[in-house]
Amino acid sequence: MVEKEKKEGKKSRRDFLNILLSGGFIAWLGAVIYPLISYLRPPQIEVVKVNSVNIGKVTNMEKDSGKIIKFGNDPVIVIRLADGEYRAFSASCTHLDCIVQYRQDYGQIYCACHNGRYDLHGRNISGPPPAPLAKYEIAIKNDEVTVYKPSV
Amino acid sequence: MKESITKKIFNALNERFQLDNLISFLKHKSVPKYRNTIWYYFGGISLLLFIVQVTTGILLIMYYKGSEDLAYESIKFINTKVSFGWLIRSIHSWSANLMILAIFIHMFSVYFLKAFRKPRELTWYTGVILLFLSMGFGFSGYLLPWDELAFFATKVGTDIAGQLPLVGDFLLKLLRGGEDVTGATLSRFFGLHVALLPGIFVVFLTMHLIVIQRQGMSEPEEWKNKKESEKETIPFFPNFAVHDLLIWLIVINILAILATFFPWELGPKADAFASAPVGIKPEWYFLFMFQTLKYIPAKVWFIEGELLGIFTFGLAGLLWVLVPFWDSKTPKGKKNKIINYVGIFVISFIIIFTIIGYLLD
Amino acid sequence: MYKYFISLIISLLIINFSSAKTKKNFIPNASQQTVNECLTCHFDNEDGNGEPAHLFKKDIHFNKGITCAGCHGGDPTKDDMDEAMDKNKGYIGVPSKAERYKVCIKCHSDSKKMKSFGSNIPTDQFEKLKGSIHFTKSINASTPIADCITCHSVHNIASVKDPRSTVYPTKIPKLCKSCHSNASFMKQYNPSLSIDQYEKYRTSVHGKQNAKGDINVAECASCHGNHDILSVKNSKSPVYPSNVPQLCSTCHSDKNLMDKYKLPHDQYENYKNSVHGNALFVKQDLSAPACNDCHGNHGAVPPGLESITNVCGTCHAFNAELFAKSPHKKAFDKLNYPECITCHSNHKILHATDQLLGVGKDSKCIQCHKNNTNDKGYLIAGEMKSLFDSLKIADSVSTELLKDASLKGMDISEAEYSIKQIKQILIQARTITHLADIKEFKDKLDEGFVITNKTKQAALDAIDEYYFRRYGLGIATIIITFLVIVLYLKTKKFEKKK
Repeated sequence: MVEKEKKEGKKSRRDFLNILLSGGFIAWLGAVIYPLISYLRPPQIEVVKVNSVNIGKVTNMEKDSGKIIKFGNDPVIVIRLADGEYRAFSASCTHLDCIVQYRQDYGQIYCACHNGRYDLHGRNISGPPPAPLAKYEIAIKNDEVTVYKPSV
Repeated sequence: MKESITKKIFNALNERFQLDNLISFLKHKSVPKYRNTIWYYFGGISLLLFIVQVTTGILLIMYYKGSEDLAYESIKFINTKVSFGWLIRSIHSWSANLMILAIFIHMFSVYFLKAFRKPRELTWYTGVILLFLSMGFGFSGYLLPWDELAFFATKVGTDIAGQLPLVGDFLLKLLRGGEDVTGATLSRFFGLHVALLPGIFVVFLTMHLIVIQRQGMSEPEEWKNKKESEKETIPFFPNFAVHDLLIWLIVINILAILATFFPWELGPKADAFASAPVGIKPEWYFLFMFQTLKYIPAKVWFIEGELLGIFTFGLAGLLWVLVPFWDSKTPKGKKNKIINYVGIFVISFIIIFTIIGYLLD
Repeated sequence: MYKYFISLIISLLIINFSSAKTKKNFIPNASQQTVNECLTCHFDNEDGNGEPAHLFKKDIHFNKGITCAGCHGGDPTKDDMDEAMDKNKGYIGVPSKAERYKVCIKCHSDSKKMKSFGSNIPTDQFEKLKGSIHFTKSINASTPIADCITCHSVHNIASVKDPRSTVYPTKIPKLCKSCHSNASFMKQYNPSLSIDQYEKYRTSVHGKQNAKGDINVAECASCHGNHDILSVKNSKSPVYPSNVPQLCSTCHSDKNLMDKYKLPHDQYENYKNSVHGNALFVKQDLSAPACNDCHGNHGAVPPGLESITNVCGTCHAFNAELFAKSPHKKAFDKLNYPECITCHSNHKILHATDQLLGVGKDSKCIQCHKNNTNDKGYLIAGEMKSLFDSLKIADSVSTELLKDASLKGMDISEAEYSIKQIKQILIQARTITHLADIKEFKDKLDEGFVITNKTKQAALDAIDEYYFRRYGLGIATIIITFLVIVLYLKTKKFEKKK
């Protein structure tokens, strides 16, 4: 009888030790994995906030053409219509972020990755893009064209 | 009876890979228990430190940039901007040194316990090669931060390689990737450190571990005449293994403590046209050779002093590697006092000249 | 009684024979009535009063009893031309332009001789002239540019104290002008040297007074010297930049002289203790302004009340520009306040401390602005000072924290670099004070606050990181130690089993 109790006692002690071991091991694993994951996450690089970009004289761009400019870290497409009007949109396609282009032959904004198309107001009209391109403001002063961040 | 999940998985694997043989083999693995058992841990410690090096090394590659203009800045970036970057970098540097120290201790303990004797000659040869490879790791890795100390240590080291007759010039250009230590040297050393050396090391390590498993732990010479029942041993699984794990945990803790309280330095960026800093010397595992070379006169007889030094060390190294070859007494069961004397001399020489190297700044 | 008579004759004879008689030139001493037969012919042969012999009658040398032979040599006692103009008797005729100064110095550099004529004038003129810029060779490489006769003229030389003298103070400006305002002449020697000194001089207070006949004011020689004129670039010249203040003070620190004109006499003392004086005298900075840089040199006149900003602005351009745009300019001009000088003083300009701004007891603002509801300026001044002080405090807080972080071994090199910009921002803010516009001032200081906030955060983050590392290590050690103990107990179990 006593022997059985002793054995059971020993067993429970052994189980207890095992529980402690597993618990300790898991804690140790956490103490190793947490820094590892933290390390692999890229550190934040300071982004300089850009609110406007000057793209030069009105006459710099030909009519019925488009070009991509760098607006801080984001690409923006600036198009000059046939009547001389300037428009600007975000150049990141709303489908999978490829950079769009102006197609003179279509008279539309086109995304080469999956044939997405947008009209000259940035509205998605054909292909996979689910949403229109974000609109940027244009201001023309003293013959200089400036692109502004869209008013939210 | 319901089988536990682990049992189910084991059975599934066993059916396919006959794990039973493996299990019984491992069950019989044992370690001699006597006053010198403690030295048997150092092989495992060396292995642990190598694993730490590979892990931290891979993590460092995520952020390190191996070109002349970017190397130094990338280390600074790791140290300051990357989360726990300071920890990974310092552990990598400390562990490098501790690994070579562990390997030295492991080698000398094997030497004095005569574990290199027949049938374990190949274990010894692969082991010594692993030592040389780790010193190669240390030398190539040291340049990668591209700071002042790294630059000049590499310059001096490759200069010495260039002293060898016939092959010296070729060797120097091969190592440096040019006449001088430049970004080309950095590229070579980086490739050496993260690709070539790891590949070769793993090959020899695998060989080393396989032959050890095949031949089992070396027994002390004095057991030659003992009966099997008289030999006191510890089963490797689980006793020795758990001890091993315990020690490994402590070693990891020591690394973390060293990294926190004694973070590894980063000196000023390397400048090819700056004067060599005062007190420039190689890392401790090269220091005894470096210091000895300083004491040899410029010309001995008709041979250039430095050349004589290099040759002497080369010859000594070769003799050391070939000890299973020229130790004829031990295989016969006789006590070879010469081996012990030679070993004591080598250890004292290394320790004394290392100390001198540090004191005479 | 006849003893007295004999001693008189003997003394006369002694005086007669003790005079320096050269063989060649018969130069009489003062007490002799000399015979000048030269004039007998030369006077009659001349047409008018401008001729040498006519002029010589008014000459001081003539009055002292020196004959034509005294300079030209020969025997003045003979009226026969050949005997009088005898080369063997030392006759040299009209001395060449290259050599004629030697005639003058024969007496004028000999103090004994000068004393014998009862003259106490100095005898170092030639010594001085020798080292001067006027004595360098002219373009013909043989004659000096100017010698004694160039300025003192010849045959009608009068004493300097005599208004008839060509070098009487009122005559000197015109004398110097005759060469120095002649463009084609000056071009031969120094094309870059200006030729408008005379014109400018006449606009100055000195020039105007001199024109009225005042011989107590400065004219060319007073500043440039008379015989020992050196180039302005020569450090021994009295008008070398670092010598100018002392030069002006020789008159302008003279109380008796200045009281006559109702002028102060403390300017030099004040200037010496000012930042400009310190820069010029102690730091040896030759670009530091001396009297002439603000007052002009030839056209010396204190700047008018409304032009002070422009004068100070020739160096302190930005401050002047801002002040001119500020509300203070109109107000000061209306109240006849001397612009920059109102706050910074004119001669005793001291280092402008931060206490000048604000409403503290040492501030300049409260000299006009009072603490009442109508005075917006008072509030603005107070606000500017308190903003300025808060930036300084924020800077020192960040610096202290950064030092703490670096002592703990954390890397804060980026923040240490940014905080150095604060010094620059404070300097720029001090300049913007002159615009007296609270918005511009605030904008500038806000740039600084952005930096102090960022660096303070970086320092605090670094210090937090220091503690985090140690706590993290502590936790890791506890976990490992716990594991080690549990494993050890486990091994004990295994051993027991065995």
